Amino acid sequence: MRKRNVHIKLDRLKSDLTEISGLEISIGKAIEEEWAEPLGPTPCPSLATLRDWDLKLLQRYKPFYMPYCDVCCLCTMGKCDLTQGKKGACGLDICAQQSRVVLIACCIGAATHTAHARHLVEYLIEKYGCDSPIDVGADVGVEVEAPVTRLVYGEKPKTLGDLEDVLNYLENQITHLLSVAHTGQEGSKLDFESKVFHAGMIDQVGMEVADIAQISAYGLPKADPNAPLVETGMGAIDSTKPVILVIGHNVPPATQIIDYLGEKDLMGSVEVAGICCTAHDLTRYNPRAKIVGPISWQLRFIRSGFSDVIVVDEQCIRTDVLAEAQRTMTPVIATSEKNCLGLPNRTQDPVDQIVSDLVEGRSPGAVIFDTEKVGEVAVRVSMLLSPRRMKFKVIPDLAKVIEETKRCAQCSNAPCRKACPNDLPIPDAMHQASESILEGLANLYDLCIGCGRCESACTNDLPIHSYIIGASKKIVNEEKFKVRVGRGAVQDVEIRKVGGPIVLGEIPGVIALVGCANYPNGGIEVAQMAEEFAKRRYIVMSSGCAAMSIGMYCDEEGKTLYEQFPGEFDAGGIVNVGSCVANSHIAGAAIKIASIFAKRKLRGNYEEIADYIHNRVGAVGIAWGAMSQKAASIASGFWRLGVPVIVGPHGSKYRRMLLGRKDKVKDWYAYDTRTGEKVFVGPCPEHLFYAAETKEEAMVMAAKLCMRPNDTPRGRAIKLYNYIDLHKKLYGVMPDDLHLFVRRDADLPITIKDEVMKILKEKDWKENVIPDPTLLPRLIRGKGGLTDER
Amino acid sequence: MVEPIGTARPEFPVDVGEMYEGERIRKPAMHLEFGGMEVEKKWELALARPLDQVEDGKVTVVGPDLSDMEPGGSYPIGVLVEVAGAKVEKDLEGVLERKIHYFTNYIEGVMHLNQRYDVWIRIGKKSYQKGFNSLEWLGKVLVWLYKSSFPVIEKIQVTIYTDKAKIEELFPMAMDVWGKRDERARTLKDEDVKEFYACVMCQSFAPSHMCVITPNRIASCGSISWFDARAAYNVDPKGPNFPIPKGECIDPVKGVYEGVNKVAQEKSLGAIKSVSLYSSFDNPHTSCGCFEGIAFYIPEVDGIGIVHRDFKGHTVNGLTFSAMAGHTSGGTQNPGFNGIAIEYLRSLKFLQADGGWERIVWVPSQIKERVKDAIPEHLLGKIATEADSKTIGELKEFLVSKSHPVANRLVIEEAKEVKEEAPEVVLPAQIPTGIEIPARGGIRIILKNVKITAEKIIVKREK
Repeated sequence: MRKRNVHIKLDRLKSDLTEISGLEISIGKAIEEEWAEPLGPTPCPSLATLRDWDLKLLQRYKPFYMPYCDVCCLCTMGKCDLTQGKKGACGLDICAQQSRVVLIACCIGAATHTAHARHLVEYLIEKYGCDSPIDVGADVGVEVEAPVTRLVYGEKPKTLGDLEDVLNYLENQITHLLSVAHTGQEGSKLDFESKVFHAGMIDQVGMEVADIAQISAYGLPKADPNAPLVETGMGAIDSTKPVILVIGHNVPPATQIIDYLGEKDLMGSVEVAGICCTAHDLTRYNPRAKIVGPISWQLRFIRSGFSDVIVVDEQCIRTDVLAEAQRTMTPVIATSEKNCLGLPNRTQDPVDQIVSDLVEGRSPGAVIFDTEKVGEVAVRVSMLLSPRRMKFKVIPDLAKVIEETKRCAQCSNAPCRKACPNDLPIPDAMHQASESILEGLANLYDLCIGCGRCESACTNDLPIHSYIIGASKKIVNEEKFKVRVGRGAVQDVEIRKVGGPIVLGEIPGVIALVGCANYPNGGIEVAQMAEEFAKRRYIVMSSGCAAMSIGMYCDEEGKTLYEQFPGEFDAGGIVNVGSCVANSHIAGAAIKIASIFAKRKLRGNYEEIADYIHNRVGAVGIAWGAMSQKAASIASGFWRLGVPVIVGPHGSKYRRMLLGRKDKVKDWYAYDTRTGEKVFVGPCPEHLFYAAETKEEAMVMAAKLCMRPNDTPRGRAIKLYNYIDLHKKLYGVMPDDLHLFVRRDADLPITIKDEVMKILKEKDWKENVIPDPTLLPRLIRGKGGLTDER
Repeated sequence: MVEPIGTARPEFPVDVGEMYEGERIRKPAMHLEFGGMEVEKKWELALARPLDQVEDGKVTVVGPDLSDMEPGGSYPIGVLVEVAGAKVEKDLEGVLERKIHYFTNYIEGVMHLNQRYDVWIRIGKKSYQKGFNSLEWLGKVLVWLYKSSFPVIEKIQVTIYTDKAKIEELFPMAMDVWGKRDERARTLKDEDVKEFYACVMCQSFAPSHMCVITPNRIASCGSISWFDARAAYNVDPKGPNFPIPKGECIDPVKGVYEGVNKVAQEKSLGAIKSVSLYSSFDNPHTSCGCFEGIAFYIPEVDGIGIVHRDFKGHTVNGLTFSAMAGHTSGGTQNPGFNGIAIEYLRSLKFLQADGGWERIVWVPSQIKERVKDAIPEHLLGKIATEADSKTIGELKEFLVSKSHPVANRLVIEEAKEVKEEAPEVVLPAQIPTGIEIPARGGIRIILKNVKITAEKIIVKREK
């Protein structure tokens, strides 16, 4: 039962025992309480509700500031120079200003996911009705179907309609959060950070709402470890057919393309391929669609001329997509109010007219908000235009690359290389190419993030990115891979199954490779990390662009990692959950552990569950190419849950890290809930946010950050083994901090016991206890503490 | 020739470490293999011997060695690990034998699958080329890892047979050892031992749960038997497996022991007062979350159903495994829901206080097949699976038609028609359906010009 906006008005009522006149009753919402779980202490937390928890974490993991910009120009009193301890006109110092900018970034991130969720939910309600049920895997036993929402919002959404209420709360919080960044509001860096955590938490709920809505309504794979494999890569696109390219994150317009093709029985005649998260969600909707690649594949694919029409929705789309598309005579259809690209709104126009205008080139594109219309227009335009365009491309062939690179001025200050975020050796490659040696340019293909800044910087306006693609023709043609379609949530049963292996020391941890494609050395590093950890029997999770990169490399037998490793949430599995909004399932899996094993109540019980996860769940996120504000808010959602995140070198541009100090012994105490005593638990995990310079550093750190105070001796032994083994293999020496992580001799991995023991003796190591850890005194059970009545 | 060794890590031609455990060697990467489907006789065996019968550190290869064999082939093998020590008991043999699998897998480029008479070992090309060209290396690894892992082992010798005749000659002896070992595991009763074992490994995630492991009750995860727990305690006396002195037996049918209660109280900080090892109802054993199956009470037939973790869909009571698991986990006692290991179905004391197999009415076909030999023959056809009954109604019919023991006491009650009293609505029209304002009782209400506004109203259904 669920009623809304009930209004009762009685002017006059008279019976034997009642006399009423002028009675008005308004009830916003009437809910039948079906959920037996009692409401926890913090449903719908507001800005400062969880501040104590945040400050506990920030006490251990103090912000380490790396100002990316040392002025503030947010108000007209500025710009203010904040260097050397100077304060701004409003009184803010440089540390708080960094945190403030991070807060703004996280608000943008949270707003983006939440707005995406709002659009999806409203759209899906209109299409499927507000009573359409939430089902993310009931048939495979997903009982805890919206763990993040339960934890934060305190309700169990059952229908699409229920999600609207959740969104109301999120939007309210984002408004408050953004207002905090106004001049003359918050003044403390740590309070800014606490609000950053809050934005991250709100973002996590927003992502969950978006993904469970689309999984439920569209019937995307429901917690399916055997979700199909889908073709990926530029070489996988059949360019003899009309090609529709979809870019962005919000899948409804793309689904209408598929539906229209299905209705007209054209599925085999037109290629539908996607870039970025829309590609993930579209292949979840229909695995006959294809994935071109991550966001960095935009310029190369558009310029290659494959696409006969481009349909964009929202987020992470190149803002010059229209100009680029015009070069290859490809019309662009914009479908989101958030991204209209200056195009005319044709939503109300007849389809025939729009099609004709686009095909005849009378208009470079159109805004169409009606998704059904988008489906028909896109298909018809692609089919009519394909034979005319003849896949017109602006990527030069090899001879032309050689000829044109001769025009490179070889500027002494190499502005192209300076402009390149990864400092790629562009001038050398250009010089080689001008002498008919194309390997140099081709070698840049995998490393290039496709930003095109080299071209903007070129003094001769040479299309350098196009040369890189042109020189890599062979690579492009061979770029055919397989990615496992995003499976959605983790099954409750899968979590139950790994409980034993984790405590028995057979699974060292969970590594989540997530985020965008701003890689320092190409996507292959993400694939290599995934392979290394999967081989070491970690559970590897992935999402978004990282999940695509993992699938874009083959072994000697031509198999991608998704073909080599299973999609189960289990030792050695590589689990693609889906698009960025599916990141919520990674957090959700961690949250579910507390409910499944310890029967902790999730409902509105954030602090206790975060404490549980922080002290017990050995999970680490690696966002190797984190680029966006969304990536910032996703990471902060994990921090508040106490899950550490490692970013690539570009991640340092997020302005500050959250680093623990292992040398400060007093920082690493927790309560033993059994005795109430404070015990040394070691720096587990040592950091909450860490930027690694190299893939090797990231891997060693990830292995180390999987350790938690609750580890069983066998669990700790396998974690230590992997940390030590990776450290030895990648750094060539033993780690020097092992004495902080060994509690008892049973923690020592058998095969390197002697070696470690020797180090421990040198460090004067002493045996320690293994506690039942918590940072919250209220959870102490023994010796005068609370009894376990959760 | 490889020199004999002790506990210090020797130099090996390839790496040896825990990370290689999950390594798979596909056929193209394989130098050669032992056992597997192509080979009829293959085995591995661990035996406890008197101290004077074991030559410490000795590794012997009987038959041709790796370098004498044609690459690409499949060969017979027998691996015999003989250990001795004052504290090495015969009961430890099974536990030690399973370690052959793990330790062999720790070798880079060596894959080991299965156990006993079913072993399958592949040697990778790369490792062979790196110098792993003699089975003596395998023996050396085993000697070293056994000695480092089990301080109770004073002496160990490893013999690896590749000589077909010798492998076949010893095979009946191995079969005899396994037969006797299984027989002991099957017939050993809780009454026969002095100590049970506790496992608090899962307290890592479920802080108030403790498993009691006895000869007749394997840990709920199915991974740790009484023998395993005993061995684990031997290796790590301060670890998560420790002995529970049984103390006085308070109730032999339910399996209530004074010693068990004492430790359960202590480890649950008083939350658990008493544990019945063989009952689902009266102070049942608690569970963490990783139990393999659930024994669940079905009140309509006064019987017990079993469901395992991999069962997809709805059980006979309309609930999924996951839904019931929610009631079973978290270290609390939940009468009627018992987290169990599948192996517990074979126990001599399987839910004996509740009637044992006589009370079991529904088991998924996969599990029924797996434990068929443990189900009393006269009950085999009387226990329903998902193929026989999908609902309680079908189950009742099935049990009655098969004369299941519970059918005798099963009274099929006519479903009581609960006549809902239609509330008298005394308010006039314009009231949305679903909102009922009861206006009965002995008071008179007068409301004038009242405005009641609620953002949200939560209605609780009366139980």
